[in-house]
Amino acid sequence: MKKISFVLNGEKRNIYVEPNDLLLDVLREKLGVKSPKYGCGRGDCGLCTVLINGKSARTCLILAIEVDGQEILTVEGLSKDKLTPLQESFIKHNSFQCGFCAPGMIMTATELLEKNSNPTGEEVKEAISGNLCRCTGYTPIIEAILDVNKK
Amino acid sequence: MVIAHEFEYFKPESVEGVIELLLKYKDKARLLAGGTDLIVRIKDGLEFPEAVIDIKGLTELGKFEFKDNKLFIGSLVTFNDLIESKIVEEKFPLLWESSKTVASIGIRNRATIVGNICSAVPSLDTGPALLVYEANVVVRGTEGERVISVLDWFLGPRKTALEAGEFVYGITISLPEKKRGGSYVKLGRYNGEDLAQVGLGILALEGNEYRLAFCAVGPVPARAKKIEALLNGKSLTGLLIEEAKNLVPEEISPITDVRATKEYRLHVAKIMFERGIKAAVERLDGKGPAYGEKLI
Amino acid sequence: MEEFKFIGKPVDRLDEREKVTGAAKYVDDIEFGPNLLYTEIIESPHPHALINNINTSEAEKVEGVVKIVTGKDFPYKFGLYMKDRYIFAQDRVRFIGEQVAAVIARDPKTALKAAKLVKVEYEPFSAVFDPVEALKEDAPVIHPELGNYPHVPWFFPKGGSNVAHLRKVRKGDVEKGFKEADFVLEDTYRIPRYAHCCLETHIAVGLLDYSGRLTVWASSQSPHTQRNLFADALAPLGFSHKDIRVIVPYVGGGFGGKAGVTMEVIAAALATVVKGHPVKVIWRRDQEFYNTYMRLQVMSKIKVGVKNDGIITAFEITNYWDAGPYAEYGANVVNASGLSATGPYRIPNVKIDSYCIYTNLPVAGPYRGFGYSEMLFSVESHMTRIAKAIGIDPVEFRRKNGIREGDSLPYGAPMNPNGLLEAIDKVAKEIDWGKKETLNDPNKAIGKGFAIFWKAPAMPPNVSSTAFIKFSEDGSLNVIVSGMEIGQGYLTAMAQIAAEVLTVPPEKIRIELPDTDRNPYHWQTVASHVTWANGNAVKRAALQIRDRIFEVVHEVYHYDKDTLYLEDEKVKCKLHASFELPLKDFVIEGIQTKDGTYRGGAIVGSGSFMPEFTSAQQDPETSQGGHPNVHYTVGAAAVKIEIDKQTGKVRILKAVEALDAGKAINPMNVKHQIYGGLLQGFATALYEDMRFDENGKILNPNFTDYKIPTSLDIPDEVVPIIVEVPQPDGPYGARGIGEHPMIPAAPIIANAVEDALGVRIKSMPITAEKIAMAILNDKKEVDDFLMIMKK
Repeated sequence: MKKISFVLNGEKRNIYVEPNDLLLDVLREKLGVKSPKYGCGRGDCGLCTVLINGKSARTCLILAIEVDGQEILTVEGLSKDKLTPLQESFIKHNSFQCGFCAPGMIMTATELLEKNSNPTGEEVKEAISGNLCRCTGYTPIIEAILDVNKK
Repeated sequence: MVIAHEFEYFKPESVEGVIELLLKYKDKARLLAGGTDLIVRIKDGLEFPEAVIDIKGLTELGKFEFKDNKLFIGSLVTFNDLIESKIVEEKFPLLWESSKTVASIGIRNRATIVGNICSAVPSLDTGPALLVYEANVVVRGTEGERVISVLDWFLGPRKTALEAGEFVYGITISLPEKKRGGSYVKLGRYNGEDLAQVGLGILALEGNEYRLAFCAVGPVPARAKKIEALLNGKSLTGLLIEEAKNLVPEEISPITDVRATKEYRLHVAKIMFERGIKAAVERLDGKGPAYGEKLI
Repeated sequence: MEEFKFIGKPVDRLDEREKVTGAAKYVDDIEFGPNLLYTEIIESPHPHALINNINTSEAEKVEGVVKIVTGKDFPYKFGLYMKDRYIFAQDRVRFIGEQVAAVIARDPKTALKAAKLVKVEYEPFSAVFDPVEALKEDAPVIHPELGNYPHVPWFFPKGGSNVAHLRKVRKGDVEKGFKEADFVLEDTYRIPRYAHCCLETHIAVGLLDYSGRLTVWASSQSPHTQRNLFADALAPLGFSHKDIRVIVPYVGGGFGGKAGVTMEVIAAALATVVKGHPVKVIWRRDQEFYNTYMRLQVMSKIKVGVKNDGIITAFEITNYWDAGPYAEYGANVVNASGLSATGPYRIPNVKIDSYCIYTNLPVAGPYRGFGYSEMLFSVESHMTRIAKAIGIDPVEFRRKNGIREGDSLPYGAPMNPNGLLEAIDKVAKEIDWGKKETLNDPNKAIGKGFAIFWKAPAMPPNVSSTAFIKFSEDGSLNVIVSGMEIGQGYLTAMAQIAAEVLTVPPEKIRIELPDTDRNPYHWQTVASHVTWANGNAVKRAALQIRDRIFEVVHEVYHYDKDTLYLEDEKVKCKLHASFELPLKDFVIEGIQTKDGTYRGGAIVGSGSFMPEFTSAQQDPETSQGGHPNVHYTVGAAAVKIEIDKQTGKVRILKAVEALDAGKAINPMNVKHQIYGGLLQGFATALYEDMRFDENGKILNPNFTDYKIPTSLDIPDEVVPIIVEVPQPDGPYGARGIGEHPMIPAAPIIANAVEDALGVRIKSMPITAEKIAMAILNDKKEVDDFLMIMKK
């Protein structure tokens, strides 16, 4: 067991992990952060996505021990006080149906809007192309993202 | 879902530290950068390392600079680093275009081009670009540093020229002297992310010089020497392109698998060549489709 | 036209905020405490083999292992429509991946390690993977005891064979009908297996507490039916319904795959051997592919006769369905689609043979469309072909032959009111049908494809749906139901119905997720019947509350009940404009009378709905008589595509779909279903491509090689159209539409490809490869079927 420490949703956390513990499992099972989900375990579906130092990453492919000293942001971190304009836009557009893809999608879209506050439809589609959604056909999700900073 | 296989984790802070561990654990050691290949393989029971050596502690491996007309890409440089680099986009657009086809942003934020060439899967998207740019692989080992041409790098599926006790420090690409245009054409099953069923990288250089490399249609990504020999020194005509297309079956040996049949791969490879070389030549003249636009 | 305040409005989804903030809990998000146990399943590597021995001794020695179980521990059968399956394989395995044993351990890594040490000795024998092969004399019999299996009375298994069920429909005289025809077209179509790919994999956690009460948390579409099946399967252990509780939080997608019971029974059974400990069974993505339900494979042999004016005189279809080795649910897919295999046409002479056949591929069962998505590929491809063969426009052909209200269905009952013709006209107009589009690029071709479709809820004739409604002091409502929110927007629709009756706005209404202890009965959230059935129940409960409210007000104020009405959460009176009694003032506390005493008290309501006109009593030889289906939802769809003739790649330029929702309770959610369902259907048409090796092992149980749509794969334009011909017995005229959007997607692609290239592809998927190779080899018809890969 090794002790690691990192900032999770704005708070410094210390925790013991085994080398073979995956970050997804540690977040969910040891730290009570349930928003990243298990979907495929191979990085193909995007459900496990969080932001590590501001960059979207697949926690199912990261050993927990790798994030020692890093900063992680999940949907719980976005929802602490007021919701972000992106979250409000998703609610306004009724974008999600079963909701299982939502956390990963929200983190990816959060990263996109940080880098590019006024993306085109093509840029949005490209950015979220690694986040699978089986229910919505993507259109209401894309519309919500485009609507956030629409002038 | 979980990894049951147990291993030790190390995060050395120097090149010597890495080499020391490589020598200690020999073929039971695996290097970890992005992890997008290694972790999947450990989960699938295809790798059983005793030691996982995380090289993200070596800040020098993050070196990413263009100096003296040479681009140096350290082993920790990610695909998104490449894509976001104006230097790569403007001076090495074929590498830029290839990088954009790899997986998705969430993977590209971690996955590295060095990791890609070390995994050496036959379908790796960066293979063709590196082969036509004639990049070099900078390796560090007990003997110090050595440089291996990427043309000599790929020895077989998942087999590279790396020897025991060595690891890749970075990749260098010299800026070609002549004006040039390129294209990377990739066959996938739909518009979303896919492993290439055929990949073709082309560099057309001023003075009728052509370099082509295929991936996913042979045990290793490789230059299409016969086609290059046919085309070199000649200006491109419709007839020449037809002639070259007929050489495609001699350059590649596609297989049939769940992704595609060999007949289809062969057929589309010819189409990819035709569209790819036209785009490369147009881009050489400053025209043609923007880099990143899909040709098939 | 009645003006509604909430019905027919795009009311915001009730569950959206929870899902966007990460508050929404799915089964694996529930904390079960430090006593949670984990499992790993030992699975069969053979498609068909006897189990000679299971040696668990080495595995048991691993520290942290709590218990290891095998089929011997649970020799119990279960099944929804037929009892042909086991909790764990008994004497033999019947597909690669079938559960043979399970390790229960304190942590998942230990379970994984120990599972590798379980040694099983198998004796493989011959297996069969093709439904037609499975009918041959020399095919291995997968269920030697088939003749003894209990089953619903409307199934007809053939003991001694691999036929789990045969649905026969005979109407009129097809021989005569074909003789009358001026033109007859006969051909075969093949549709392979598909996977739901719900993003949340199957999961169930079972807990047998120390008092002997069993609770199962499951990601399920059917809490009450699951409880029923658990009670049935575990009855030998002394369980009955009162001893079992099923709780379902939010579900990350169902699409039919989480209907009935598949792996959930493992959690229920394992819980009984580790009393006091919750035990979790969660599927990895690859298990999700091969050990849940897949969509059935079918080979359709279809023959249609028409007169020169386009009128259909005869229709004959034989569908050979591959249901895998356990057909307890898949047989109803065969049954339901068999009854309706003609598609939405008026046809006097019909012969349908719908075979449900056992094979040693993985288990198949319900998937959005329930057989209609599968078989309408054949029917609607065929109808376009035959129309063109006699020189009639394919849309005009549908207009002429489309079924009207009152027409006789294949099994004799009358067709319900429907907007099929309106749907056809609106779709044809929107896609500019008849206008041939051309391109300048010789390497590209444009084509348009059209199809009509229908589906009725496929259910037993006596399914019930119920609802409780209660108030809180602030006038808000809790509607307590057992339908499942699987993403379709069910919670919101129920809130809108309750809101319309009681005038409490949806923001003040909660719809409670199922707990079989507290929420009243609902059969399953399947069949696109829940808005209709549960909507009726909720409406009845709301009306009961409204009646009670008026009764109490009448008692205290003496106003005639029929002068009272509700508006803006208040009771008002038509004769006394100043009278306004806010609901929150009395729905808990009662109304105080002049003498200081109170009337009323806490107000609650309940509603129950079961159709009383359905019957599955049909002639087994002809299916005539009886009334097995409540009603059909109809629609039409069209697509315009652009094909790259060199690579075969298809780009969907425009997709249009019209659905007759009766009354769209929430038009926004109906449109969202169309976006999602069409894309899911297009994927099955174009690139979802399940492959098996010659031994029946799935080769691509992952998203790397089984491709489901990404945001880059959506059509350039999708136009959803809502048609509303009211369903007389639906709440506000509503009928269901959840499955329907997917159903026409594949045939419209096939028809568009033919329109563009003159190439008819008769097998799914219609990949770029199939198209490109057809053009390259100058083939006009393609029937390559690649699902089983030969070496």
